[in-house]
Amino acid sequence: MNKILLVIQREYLTRVKKPSFWVLTIVVPVLLAVVYAIPIILASRPLEHAHVLVVDDTGLFQGQFRSGRDITYYEAGSIDYARRQLQQHDSLNAIVYIPARETTLPRDAYLFYRSDAPSLTVQTDAQNQLQEILRNRILLDVHGLTPDDYALLTSTHIRLRTQDIETGRDGFLQVKIVVGALLAILVFMAVFMFGSQVMRGVMEEKTSRIVEVIVCSVKPFQLMMGKVVGIGLVGLTQFALWVLLAGALVTGVQLTHADLFEQASSRHSQTEIASKGTEATYQYQTEQERAAQYQAGQGIDNSIQDLIEGLTGINFTMLILLFVFYFVFGYLLYASLFAAAGSLVDNETDSQQFTLPITIPLLLTLLLLPSMVGQPSGSLSTWLSIIPFTSPVAMLLRIPFGVPVWQVLLSMLLLLATFPLCIWAAAKVYRSAILRYGQKASWRDVWRFLRPGSKA
Amino acid sequence: MLVINNISKTYGTFHALDDINLHVRRGTVFGLLGPNGAGKTTLIRIINHIIAPDSGTLVFDGHPMSSADVVQIGYLPEERGLYKKMRVGEQAVYLARLKGLDKATAEQRLHQWFDRLEIDSWWNRRVEELSKGMQQKVQFVVTVLHNPRLLIFDEPFSGFDPVNADLLKREILHLKEQGSTIIFSTHNMPSAEELCDDIALINHARVVLSGSLADIKAQHSNAPLDRIFIDTVQQ
Repeated sequence: MNKILLVIQREYLTRVKKPSFWVLTIVVPVLLAVVYAIPIILASRPLEHAHVLVVDDTGLFQGQFRSGRDITYYEAGSIDYARRQLQQHDSLNAIVYIPARETTLPRDAYLFYRSDAPSLTVQTDAQNQLQEILRNRILLDVHGLTPDDYALLTSTHIRLRTQDIETGRDGFLQVKIVVGALLAILVFMAVFMFGSQVMRGVMEEKTSRIVEVIVCSVKPFQLMMGKVVGIGLVGLTQFALWVLLAGALVTGVQLTHADLFEQASSRHSQTEIASKGTEATYQYQTEQERAAQYQAGQGIDNSIQDLIEGLTGINFTMLILLFVFYFVFGYLLYASLFAAAGSLVDNETDSQQFTLPITIPLLLTLLLLPSMVGQPSGSLSTWLSIIPFTSPVAMLLRIPFGVPVWQVLLSMLLLLATFPLCIWAAAKVYRSAILRYGQKASWRDVWRFLRPGSKA
Repeated sequence: MLVINNISKTYGTFHALDDINLHVRRGTVFGLLGPNGAGKTTLIRIINHIIAPDSGTLVFDGHPMSSADVVQIGYLPEERGLYKKMRVGEQAVYLARLKGLDKATAEQRLHQWFDRLEIDSWWNRRVEELSKGMQQKVQFVVTVLHNPRLLIFDEPFSGFDPVNADLLKREILHLKEQGSTIIFSTHNMPSAEELCDDIALINHARVVLSGSLADIKAQHSNAPLDRIFIDTVQQ
């Protein structure tokens, strides 16, 4: 077997066999998902039904409390009676008491309980109902508005949709920002994380002196590239597993919560009809849709539907391919520089002086992300997405917004042209530095190693 | 086996090796002696093609040496190291395969050697669990496993207890009997005296004394080698 393949194999297998790799790849995402899922699961679980007595000394709330799925309200005549009931019957949970005030509207209401404090659901429900009833009272008595009038007023909602005038497709700017920023941050973290793994690996070989034995069997260049490629493959494996995991998760959600997706897709088709139809149809459709949403009662947030709709509008295959491209070549570019940095030093603390300049372009791009999001096609974003050292992060941020093909191609070509130069320079430094022990290297040394004709 | 012609190497203004000429005869143990910083390690690295000389040539087994010949060398560096987290057997197989052995042969030979040096039970242990002496045994085995024709041992006995040092000495002599040529670099004069056929003393980048051990001792009225070493270096 070719020796560089042996090096790649070792670098890959020793890392993939580590438990920490699997913890990071599988356990951490699953844990995260569980942490997010627990509140949702708990919230959707039916609660123990609560029975609450309402004592209204003001007369404003009479017959107004609505019982629901979790709580039943009963009216009681006097607080003394209610108090006795609460003390005698275990099935009763609480009393809502609104004492009368002589002049103005009631300011305070009480929720009495015995031994066990009522659940948060009861507290919020009582609070909301009190508020709503009182408000409706004022609206009706002072302004002559019925609750229906009010509902109409508050349900007035106009959504600004960003659409391509030619294709008529929604822009979903927010979704694009989220997807773009996630990709940019992911590629940044991956390049940084696997790049420093390369550096640590090089340092391990240098400080343990095993490099002395290995360079008798393989050329320093082969050793360096073997390490870079092997660790890069670990990264790709991790992404592949994440994609599989995410796919499994989405399929799982689709199977168990099919309604979420159905609503999104039905709304999608409705709006398509609407955009082609007349105004009247549009109004009709949206009102129907709104009614359906109210009926569903779960009140799936508009933003979630936007998210799902927006996500379905993104070309994920393209996105994944571009992500892999920019990760692979951005990684090769940076990992080789990290390898050179590792070969220059004997310990992690000394490595700072070399790693900091290497990471500045990446860090800068990350810090500029917010301003780039504001203008994804602005000159800052455009330049950063074309310059090879910043393009992996910057271009991935822009991709969801749509980038002119020539810019993508130029950016890719420049990256393809630059990474061999980096590897070449890194290899020159690495070859000379890896066998120097005990001397603290400086930038002057780096320059010396890079000069043409410098021999090890 | 190996002829070293006019090898020189400088780092900036520092002369690491200055016009070195040596002849290592086939099937002998050649002692490469000299104080710290004399240039021994640099010379060994040049022989291993790890670094290139500024000038001079190497002749290996009758032909100009190329990097393809390095696979015929087994080199045990003075500064020794293994991957600490890897398992002993796995790592030895890896290093053997880098030297061109296939996996099956490597495993078979490794088990034989490990049995002989009584470390076979450590096959599946991590290197960091091994004592320093045991790690050195592993490294010795890895050095000789591919049956190299030229062996270079740089301070092979450092870190060994007397029992294991003696064991290693017998293994080295056994390798010599089997026809290997051995370059042996050390500060330990009694062991050099015991093992070497020829010696060369390097001081300040130059060969200051070389020849067969017997001749050199005769010239210095059979003084112990460390006496000869000190006198020559201090001249």
